[in-house]
Amino acid sequence: MTIVFYTASAVAIIATILMLTRANAVHALLDLIVSLLAVAVIFFVLGAPFVAALEVIIYAGAIMVLFVFVVMLLNLGEPATRAERALLRPSMWIVPSVFAAILLAEFIWLLVSGDVPPSAVAGIEAKETGMALFGQYLIGVELASMLLLGGLVAAYHLGWRKVPQTEATHVSHP
Amino acid sequence: MNVTEQDFIALLPLLILAATAIAVMLGVAVRRSHALSASIAFAGLVISFGSIWIAAPELPRQVTPLLILDRYALFYIALLTVSSMVFILLAHGYFEKSDDDHDEMYILMLVATLGGAVLVSSSHFASLFLGLELLSVALYGMIAYPRRRPLPLEAGIKYLVLAAVSAAFLLFGMALVYGAFGTMRFDEIAAQLSRPGFDRWLVLPGMALIITGFGFKLALAPFHIWTPDVYEGAPAPVTAYVATVSKGAMFALLLRYFYKTGGHQQAPLFVVFSVIAIASMFAGNILALLQDNVKRILAYSSIAHLGYLLVAFQASGDLAPMAVGFYLVSYFVTTLGAFGIVAVLSDGGRDADLLDDYRGLFWRRPVVAAVFTAMLFSLAGIPVTVGFVGKFYLVAAGASAGLWSLVVILVVTSGIGLFYYLRIVVAIYSEASQAKAGPVIGAPAVAALIFLTAALVYLGLFPQPLLALIRGLTFG
Repeated sequence: MTIVFYTASAVAIIATILMLTRANAVHALLDLIVSLLAVAVIFFVLGAPFVAALEVIIYAGAIMVLFVFVVMLLNLGEPATRAERALLRPSMWIVPSVFAAILLAEFIWLLVSGDVPPSAVAGIEAKETGMALFGQYLIGVELASMLLLGGLVAAYHLGWRKVPQTEATHVSHP
Repeated sequence: MNVTEQDFIALLPLLILAATAIAVMLGVAVRRSHALSASIAFAGLVISFGSIWIAAPELPRQVTPLLILDRYALFYIALLTVSSMVFILLAHGYFEKSDDDHDEMYILMLVATLGGAVLVSSSHFASLFLGLELLSVALYGMIAYPRRRPLPLEAGIKYLVLAAVSAAFLLFGMALVYGAFGTMRFDEIAAQLSRPGFDRWLVLPGMALIITGFGFKLALAPFHIWTPDVYEGAPAPVTAYVATVSKGAMFALLLRYFYKTGGHQQAPLFVVFSVIAIASMFAGNILALLQDNVKRILAYSSIAHLGYLLVAFQASGDLAPMAVGFYLVSYFVTTLGAFGIVAVLSDGGRDADLLDDYRGLFWRRPVVAAVFTAMLFSLAGIPVTVGFVGKFYLVAAGASAGLWSLVVILVVTSGIGLFYYLRIVVAIYSEASQAKAGPVIGAPAVAALIFLTAALVYLGLFPQPLLALIRGLTFG
């Protein structure tokens, strides 16, 4: 168990350093995802499988989606395809893949050895998390919703561009 | 834990603030009207302010582990809501001069005020962080609000990046303290800190990181680098808001957190706070001398003022919370007034922030010039103004605790400060170089300036009622 924890921690730290030192944003994202997966394994080892799952779904998942969006938005034809091919040289994906493989091996080993959750810490499941969030921390959840409202309004105002009237009619009545 | 009816009544000021933000948003969905949005927001703030008297009988009340509503919290919520009202009066005229949609500003402002109200009533790291983020995220949008002008956008980006970094510091500090004590509630942290035998190597670095996070928000030296750029770039009413509501809420929280836990009396942290106070007083006052931009001068002066406040904070006798409370009120009145003058003299294109914009102001607009002079005198701490009484109590609090070195530095740096305030005053009364009359000042802004000037003189002459009120404030 201790070995699993320290290996996952080492992977997280190295992946984060790699992320910070990459010149290319897409490569940095790959390392970031590995780092987040490693943190998920750490959560799992510490007896919080639900938080580990959230980490994978929200962080790694959402960032994967962002990654796809970036590729989609930048996909401008032949030059982009060539650039993409250059991005996916083995030297670029081999390190994150090895790290991800280490994490996967750890995870499988944990499941097979049946050593989950560790005896020292009681596992915190989805139910307990939900009870805490919608029990004593209810106001915190509500405040978080106001936070999202504020962020949304600010992003809307800053990102919105006034469409000239003629263009607007053209768009609404094609 | 269930939320009872009494809890709801105690929470009324916060609930009304949140509801008003949503009401303004729904109002925008029906009809976009600058005056309507501003009116709804103003009415909501008035109702929230009034509900403080409804909430008062339920005090002190711990509502879930996150929030504590006591007299201290309600006093600062009242201060924040009144400042937000002044902000609306100033902002309406200011934004009316430029053509864009202005309604979002009021939604953001209400969210930010809610964040401030949560901060002053938080008794838990989780609510502290949520309140801080409510304030910060809304401020990003407010600072960069005139999005076609480059300076506000630059200021917004700077604030965004540095606030995010400082939030990371704060979170890391909280995690270390939580790691040492296993609790995030202030009262439980206080109980554990008072017992010897805790892990100092977790707690002290944790506290230091928390102070870093606080220091950024309060723009204390050496975490003040962002302040002049953001103050200069942000629209003048927003600058006033950042300088008052954001900093005031943060300082009230700082006071509650450290007085409740007693953390600032740990020997290393006491030194840290003293160094920060001295650095802020010197850096603020000396760097202000080198500026030619009124907004930047006021930015550095606000750094110095927070340094003065830390002197009383360090004193932590009976006098200290009273001195801090009174000084915050005086700082709110004069800072809102000074930036309010900048706001009313600005036109749609740019802010009137150069010293040259004020040259000969007295000969063009004697009343505005007189109000600005009063605000500057109050910032400098000249008698008859509220700033003098505030500074007097700061010195008294410091002296009664025997913090002589801090008090001497306070007095010396205040003397340096006098010079750059007088520089602006001299410019105002010098020979008129240009005959430009400047923009017309709308009725709401006039009302705001009359209110602030009246408060400045009244509190300067009769500070007793407010002092008595602040003396009665207790942590629940």
